[in-house]
Amino acid sequence: MDIQLRNLIPQNIEEEKRKDSQIWTHNISIIKGEHLHIVAPSGSGKTSLIHFIYGLRKDYSGDIFYDDANIKKLSTESFSSFRKNKISIIFQDLRLFEEQTVKENIEIKRMLEPYYEWEKAAEMAARLGIETKLNQKVKTCSYGEQQRIAIIRSLMQPFDFLLLDEPYSHLDEENRIKAMELIYEECEKRNAAMIFADLKPLDFLKGEKIIYL
Amino acid sequence: MTLSYKKIEPLIISGKNIFSKWLGYFGLWTGVLLLLISLQMFVNIQQLLKEDAPRKSGGSDFISISKTITNENMGKDNTFTSSEINNLKKQPQIQDVSPLITNQFRVRATAGNIIPFSTDLFLESVDNDFIDTLPPSFSWQPGQITVPVIFSSDFLEMYNVFAPAQGLPQLSAKTISSVNIILECSGPLGTQNFKGNIVALSDRINSLLVPKTFMNWSNQHFTGDTAIHASRVYVKTKDANNPQLISYFDQQDYHLNKDKIKFGRIKSILQNIVSALGVFGVLVIVMALMLFSFYLQLIIAKSKDNLRLLLTLGYSPKWLAASVAKTWLPVYLFIIVAALAVTQILHFLFLQLAFVSKANLPYLLHWSVWLVAILLLLLTVFINSRLVKKELDTIIS
Repeated sequence: MDIQLRNLIPQNIEEEKRKDSQIWTHNISIIKGEHLHIVAPSGSGKTSLIHFIYGLRKDYSGDIFYDDANIKKLSTESFSSFRKNKISIIFQDLRLFEEQTVKENIEIKRMLEPYYEWEKAAEMAARLGIETKLNQKVKTCSYGEQQRIAIIRSLMQPFDFLLLDEPYSHLDEENRIKAMELIYEECEKRNAAMIFADLKPLDFLKGEKIIYL
Repeated sequence: MTLSYKKIEPLIISGKNIFSKWLGYFGLWTGVLLLLISLQMFVNIQQLLKEDAPRKSGGSDFISISKTITNENMGKDNTFTSSEINNLKKQPQIQDVSPLITNQFRVRATAGNIIPFSTDLFLESVDNDFIDTLPPSFSWQPGQITVPVIFSSDFLEMYNVFAPAQGLPQLSAKTISSVNIILECSGPLGTQNFKGNIVALSDRINSLLVPKTFMNWSNQHFTGDTAIHASRVYVKTKDANNPQLISYFDQQDYHLNKDKIKFGRIKSILQNIVSALGVFGVLVIVMALMLFSFYLQLIIAKSKDNLRLLLTLGYSPKWLAASVAKTWLPVYLFIIVAALAVTQILHFLFLQLAFVSKANLPYLLHWSVWLVAILLLLLTVFINSRLVKKELDTIIS
């Protein structure tokens, strides 16, 4: 699978902010296995772009294609199928079920299209240091912990593309590296592309293509 | 691994609003029960009050009318004129009319030596089409000594009531045909004896019927009178309880043999009551379904964020809609089965009532009740899934 952005222009971002962009109004093709690091300051449409690609918003002109399919024309049913096993995401605002436990949150995603057994999820939780929180309600977890839950949840399914929207914003240096390594490993395992949006270029990147929004 | 709805159910259906949920269930159950019971009772009444063939045949009612005798018209000629008979024929509700022609001469009957019985009689004749039990032997030609007679079964019953007190033997329907009756006919123009032979019993016509040919011949032969004297007229109609027909009879001061139609009236009143109950049942079902749909909308509105997140995570809208709708399937099934069970019990209790003759009614509910129950189940499932889908669609869009 590949993703193509063709002459994309968001409706809610001033022309001033997008005139030097390497993405808006450009044609970009992202293929499996590629690592793309989108760097942009606040308010330049980073989250909008991620949401456009994931199909949550349609307030843009231009087109986005999943292979040959223009996603503006995709049915909700087709979207659910892509989201089940082709595209995974870590939202900036995390989007967890606050009333459910950490384990339940991960399971809700895992059982949709199981890529791993639960043991693997528990192992990831241990690796990111939240193994003691598994039976705790999400709303009682810190934002940093919730961020790690969202990361593990996104890795529970098969995918060709992983969209990351400031996934480490609330992690300390040590946890950030642990999480980053985990994500790299998982993308490599699937030969998946990584579209990673953040405020500034991260220091421990492994040869990503950096694009300024 | 198949995707389990159980694990995500708490995200969608909270335990709140239990009251409206149970009220909805109860209302639905009550409505279904009312509908099923009224349907079964409708069938029961239909079966129990099924009129015997004589009065009703081929879907028509046969009723006799006469002119109401009042102080004013007492002693006058109260027979029907031919124009009155023609007017009757013109009524749209009336299919056919036949006057009962009476004898204008004196008839005396004796039962010979076996039964020491003698009485003055009246004879009548009516078109053969109106006779419920018409044997081929019911005909007469001038010169024939034996006159076939059709005897009212009500008269036989009456005879058997007073016979023992008079020292007369009681007669069965079979033996009556072997009784020889001598009919002494006398008038200004002469006297003649005939052999009366009871060839059939009639449940429909309360009279002693002789063939029309005999009546015409004897009226002329004994009195010289050729006019038609009909103090009673038999009417064939689709429905003897037709209000227009009854009001026409009232207007004309015609008297109706009420006994024969009372049963029909009771039946129609009972059926109206039961139908009203059924309509009420349908209304209750509609209200319950509405209440339930409000409950459903509320539930979906409350779990809107969770549903939206599930869709964002890749849950299929179709699967979610089907799974949510399926939640209530066992409930609907239970409601309908419970209503069916109670209907069956009530039907069984109804059969135990003294006036119900069990031979007519099977113990099991009528097939139409089962059919309606199945249709109701399908309907509720259909409405439910449509509602869920509609609510989910509003979330997606």
